[in-house]
Amino acid sequence: MTHEVGSRPLSKAPPPAARPAAKPSAMDYVDRGLEALWSFLTSMRLAMVLLLALAALGVVGSLVVQAPQGVLDNPSAKADFLAEVRPKYGGWTGLMDTFQLFQIFNSVLFKVLMAGLTISLIACSIHRMPGVWRTITKPRLDVGPAFFEHAPQHEAVVVRHTPAETLAIVAGVLRQRRYRILSADDGTIHVYADRFRWALFSGLIGHLALVVILAGVIIGAYYGYRDSNFSIAEGSTLAVGAEPGLSLQLIDFTDSYYAETGAPEDYASQVVLYKDGNEVARHTIRVNDPLHYGDTTFYQAYFGPAAVMTITDASGNTVVDEGIPLAYSAEGGRRGGIFLIPGTAYTGELVSTLGNTDPDIKPGQMQLTLYARDTGSVVDSQVIDQGTTATVGDLTVTFDRESQFTGLSVSRDPGVMLVWLGGALLFGGFALRFLLPHKRVWARITPRGKDGAVLAVASLGSRDAALGTDFEKLVSDVRAALKAPARA
Amino acid sequence: MTTAMAKMSDYAFVAAMLSTGLATLLYLMYALSGLRAARMQTAGGPESGGALGFVSGPRTAAIGRYATIVGWLAVLAMFASLVFRTIATGHGPFANMYEFSMAFAFGVLTAYMWFERRYHQRILALVALPVALIMMIYAATIPADIEPLVPALQNNLLLTVHVAVAIVAYGSFAIAFAASALYLVQTGSGPTFLIGAAAGLATGAGFLITSGVGEAVLYGIAVSLAAYVVTWLVRRFVLRSDADATEAALEASGGRWGLPRPQVLDEIGYHAVVVGFPFLTLTIILGAVWADVAWGSYWSWDPKETASLVTWFIYGAYLHARVMRGWRGTRAAWLLVLGFEATLFTYFGNYFFGGLHSYAGLG
Repeated sequence: MTHEVGSRPLSKAPPPAARPAAKPSAMDYVDRGLEALWSFLTSMRLAMVLLLALAALGVVGSLVVQAPQGVLDNPSAKADFLAEVRPKYGGWTGLMDTFQLFQIFNSVLFKVLMAGLTISLIACSIHRMPGVWRTITKPRLDVGPAFFEHAPQHEAVVVRHTPAETLAIVAGVLRQRRYRILSADDGTIHVYADRFRWALFSGLIGHLALVVILAGVIIGAYYGYRDSNFSIAEGSTLAVGAEPGLSLQLIDFTDSYYAETGAPEDYASQVVLYKDGNEVARHTIRVNDPLHYGDTTFYQAYFGPAAVMTITDASGNTVVDEGIPLAYSAEGGRRGGIFLIPGTAYTGELVSTLGNTDPDIKPGQMQLTLYARDTGSVVDSQVIDQGTTATVGDLTVTFDRESQFTGLSVSRDPGVMLVWLGGALLFGGFALRFLLPHKRVWARITPRGKDGAVLAVASLGSRDAALGTDFEKLVSDVRAALKAPARA
Repeated sequence: MTTAMAKMSDYAFVAAMLSTGLATLLYLMYALSGLRAARMQTAGGPESGGALGFVSGPRTAAIGRYATIVGWLAVLAMFASLVFRTIATGHGPFANMYEFSMAFAFGVLTAYMWFERRYHQRILALVALPVALIMMIYAATIPADIEPLVPALQNNLLLTVHVAVAIVAYGSFAIAFAASALYLVQTGSGPTFLIGAAAGLATGAGFLITSGVGEAVLYGIAVSLAAYVVTWLVRRFVLRSDADATEAALEASGGRWGLPRPQVLDEIGYHAVVVGFPFLTLTIILGAVWADVAWGSYWSWDPKETASLVTWFIYGAYLHARVMRGWRGTRAAWLLVLGFEATLFTYFGNYFFGGLHSYAGLG
């Protein structure tokens, strides 16, 4: 953070001329309003207030239960969620929902604060740009005599050299340290020297990096997608909804556990990816090892049981012959899955149980309920034992065996590269700032007597900073290069 | 081999705990001895030779040197313990709260010793070493079993770097906190800080006995923050104490009770944050990279993620505040106190909010 506020050398500029007492015109008011707005946007106080307000929202967000994404947009899911948290928050629940406390990071207030912070970041960067540019290209050489008495670090030496010789000596020492040296002579010689001046951009880079990250987040939110419920049973192939032509086949899913502790050791989904029917990738997806294809990535997310079913329609065509994931869990240890039965007018719901006390279904059985797709009404419902065939509605259904399904999360996030770029810039800004800090030294050489001069050297920065010792070494080098003996 | 290494790690850990305790004691003696010497000076008495015939000047320095030596021993022992543990487990210290607390303690110890070398302010140890010691005692009370990694944690390199970077940040923030605490007790805010901190610690201790670590940290922080505000309000508007005047007088006199000059503490706090903030940034970025690889999303507003971002916002605000002239000194020191409380909130976060970081084997 190369903030120069309040540390720039004292200005010798005359005080601004008093405004003429003429009646201000409407344009003046607009002007003044804009000026006030600009100084408000670029004020560090605003940035600070925004940061602390975001921090406060963050605290609320980490203490209050947050609704999973999308839940609050769906009325029935929202009612379920509110019912779930009501025992915890009691009568406050409704009020908390009104104030969007269950979706803090999606709330209007949060978005307003983030937008404000972004605007403030951009405004500050623009505001500071000319100053930084001037410091780099046209630094002020004459900082006035007072600076050499009041700067945090300063030294004055009486030398027995002419001013020109003194300048050559000082410049020699500085050049050895790879400083850039600028000087001007108006009877007094003014010297300015600096090193790593391009590091002044580090603050700018660091701040704009945040804007880059936010841009990545916004792009991801608008142009990316995520399907967290991509369940495939072993042996089945499922089309990726948002990517036409892309489908994924699960060959095998394995979950293994440590013998001693029973803790999970590995979840591995062996998959084949097809594009327009051609195999394009083959991978074993693990928790820390997703499958990337183009912009799309498949992650291991969850897993569960599946039932392999064979269903034949009234005219004897096999319409289903694959594993059905039982991806949702319900009360009493029940698990269920919903699937379309192609070629028929039905949607099927398959339910199994783990509980021995279930009144309708025993472990090892599946209950198949057929719904009419147009009306949603129940057509028929049967419980089927494993390995047996039953007639449900006008379909012949066999529950072949139990298997497993894997739950993947499929996402495409075109903004993620910007996020990483922003992260790299952010850290790069810091690294630049600390590894190559901008160092500045001013010197003033005033003639004294016939062949003498007074050399004053000054620098900013506090004494105990790394710069401090640097300055002291610099001064002692200059002293050593001067003709001895020199009185201070 | 593995068990032998684990044993070595345990022994080294005990050695580290003992030497940290001893070092804390020595630093306390150093401080008391220095306080005595400071009193002698202000009382106009001779610089050496106290009521009991102590030669307090040289004696103070000697105790200080021993304290430093024992402090470095603690750093070494803690480092050895971490290395043995890493060999025993085959991964960095990130699998559970025990390992991470060892790393936290190591971070605080190392950061302190490093700042002592640089700034020669041994008094900081009075706050920094107890923080390290508490982390060690806490680690000693939780299960230290070596358990194989669950799938989400099977990313050795990334997570080891994530934790290594995090402890540099946490260690630096502990030093910044130490500096700001020593700053505040010298100023007019001293009573406010002490009352708030005491209330927070007492609440924390109470909840530690009745409930658990999660509640202790959460309510401890909440009560201390509330107590700061209430005490400040009472002192400002009821007792009408004028903190600014005492502060101005303090700047002129240069430190109370033999403590470092406020300006020096202010500088140390700032430099600690200047070191810690980039590392916190990197911790968050690496965490996001891991989340993207493991969970398919670089940011999920998981409570621990959120808390780390809150901490980042607070230290970010501090750095911006510090460069505005008005925010040196007391107000900046208060932000550092707030920042460290947020750091603790982040660290112990998984106890009270679960979420994706709830792996940490607390069952």
